[in-house]
Amino acid sequence: MALPNKVLPGFSATLYCQPSATPTALTVANLSTYASVSTIAVSGNLLPVESIPAFGQDDASATFAVAGSRQSDIIPTQSKPTSMTITAAWNPSDPNLLLMRGDAYNGTVDRTFVISASDGTNTIYYAFNGRVSEFHIDMAPNAEAKCTFSIHPRGNQYGWSNNT
Amino acid sequence: MILDQAIEELVSTYQSLDAVASRLVVDAKEVADALEKVTFGSVEHVALLALQKYNPFTTQKETIKPNADTEQQ
Repeated sequence: MALPNKVLPGFSATLYCQPSATPTALTVANLSTYASVSTIAVSGNLLPVESIPAFGQDDASATFAVAGSRQSDIIPTQSKPTSMTITAAWNPSDPNLLLMRGDAYNGTVDRTFVISASDGTNTIYYAFNGRVSEFHIDMAPNAEAKCTFSIHPRGNQYGWSNNT
Repeated sequence: MILDQAIEELVSTYQSLDAVASRLVVDAKEVADALEKVTFGSVEHVALLALQKYNPFTTQKETIKPNADTEQQ
């Protein structure tokens, strides 16, 4: 699909999560389909994050060596999706943050997340399936309470779509 | 493989679309025809694009040898 040609300046990004404690994550083809993804990117599913972290791929490789040999091998094994560390103001009444906490305790819930970049007219969605872990709450008295958690995207399960 | 089954498999998979489409052998003409009819941006459209990558349809021109009779002699 063609992307909007006025990308980035003036665009704001937002993170949404699929609702329900036992979600059925979108399939890969649906992750690339605007109509499917836009149903998740609604205000009720908003995650109140401070900022959208970097997302994409990390390098990964396997290193092989033989003891005593001068030569070794580094073989690229995969393009591992980047884990996203999210910080949000902790609100124990926010249903979506509670979903994240529940996912982190469970550890095996696959949920669809959507990053929406929009300038008000054009919208680009990056949708991916991921699992949540490492949820912790920082109640330091000298600042507002915040929670931090990581979303680990599942390999290959992502898609781009837009409204143009 | 029947095109509908291939689309269904692609639409429901959680694996890489590329990897799945690469092992699905379908009629390239059917894929090209279906792409013309399907709604742009629909989930079927995404699946058909993946299929088209590995089953490209190319129109073959009829080649007529000008001196086919004389060559045989």
